[in-house]
Amino acid sequence: MPERTIVINRDIQSERRAAAEHRRQEFTRQKTFVVNLVSSPGAGKTTLLEATCRYWKDRWKIAVLVGDLATQRDADRLRPFVPVQQLTTGGACHLELSLVEKGLAKLPQEHFDFLFIENVGNLVCPASHDLAEHLRVVLLSTTEGDDKPGKYPKMFRTSEVMVITKMDLLPHVPFDVDRATVDSHLIRDSMEVITVCSLHDEGIHNWCQMLERRREQLFSEVDVPCST
Amino acid sequence: MHEMSLVRSLIRQVDLIAAENGGGSVREVSVEIGPLSGVESELVQSAFDQVIAESHESPMTLTIRETPLVVHCLQCEDDCEIDNFIFRCLRCGSGHVRVIRGDEFRIASITLDERVTHA
Repeated sequence: MPERTIVINRDIQSERRAAAEHRRQEFTRQKTFVVNLVSSPGAGKTTLLEATCRYWKDRWKIAVLVGDLATQRDADRLRPFVPVQQLTTGGACHLELSLVEKGLAKLPQEHFDFLFIENVGNLVCPASHDLAEHLRVVLLSTTEGDDKPGKYPKMFRTSEVMVITKMDLLPHVPFDVDRATVDSHLIRDSMEVITVCSLHDEGIHNWCQMLERRREQLFSEVDVPCST
Repeated sequence: MHEMSLVRSLIRQVDLIAAENGGGSVREVSVEIGPLSGVESELVQSAFDQVIAESHESPMTLTIRETPLVVHCLQCEDDCEIDNFIFRCLRCGSGHVRVIRGDEFRIASITLDERVTHA
């Protein structure tokens, strides 16, 4: 049978990336700063968000989408503070934009200054999925070890900020903040590193200031005058 | 393991391309996978074989070419291939580099069994 070869040269994620880019521009127009939080399970994403809500109180309108394989546990923890939707993936190891859209539709239809998307705990798959975020933040807890950036290059390469969590445990574990920082800088030269202990509200001021600074930077570049 | 979800997307796109090109059955798909693509070639291969066996009547071969990781230095404007995930320019040592190759999971080409049509 005759055959014919067709040259394509197209990334299989190109449509998804275009959709994410389009959504990101919409978020920008709405002045909602979207943060995608990624880490291993148990690194402290929910605890960091609890501390963030405690710190800001009513300063900003915040909404949260939390991804897990099952249960409403994370949403239940954050519900006393802010509007939150749990996204249960039913086994999938990462969130995709389509799931984020479903969660957004269930949130109150009002303006949010910050939307936090807490990804499924996993240092591999979420790295490949653009959720239309403005900022990807990777959390690394002191109990995980300071060698993680080099071992998970894609996750750390695609993140702009690294938050080292559980700093209160530093005296008890062999974790070297400098070593983790140097390692992350080999992967991403411009990585901004912040250290926190969310349980005791330490470092949360720096974390929140970084978010406010980046939000302001982004929206000052947009032509639309600020409404708030 | 998210290879399965990406492979399903790959096959959907391949079927669409085949349909747009006269609907012949696809004999071979060639893809390029970079070290920073976030997928593992072996897992892509097994996911592909599994999905094709479940959903297609005729077999389809997947050919994977692994591509190098290449960065462009924004300091000295040189391009270099890195192989250890240390994102530094090999010429000037700057970390101010942009990935220009190696983060792709790309359909390079597809080969169709040509349907003989009579005008």
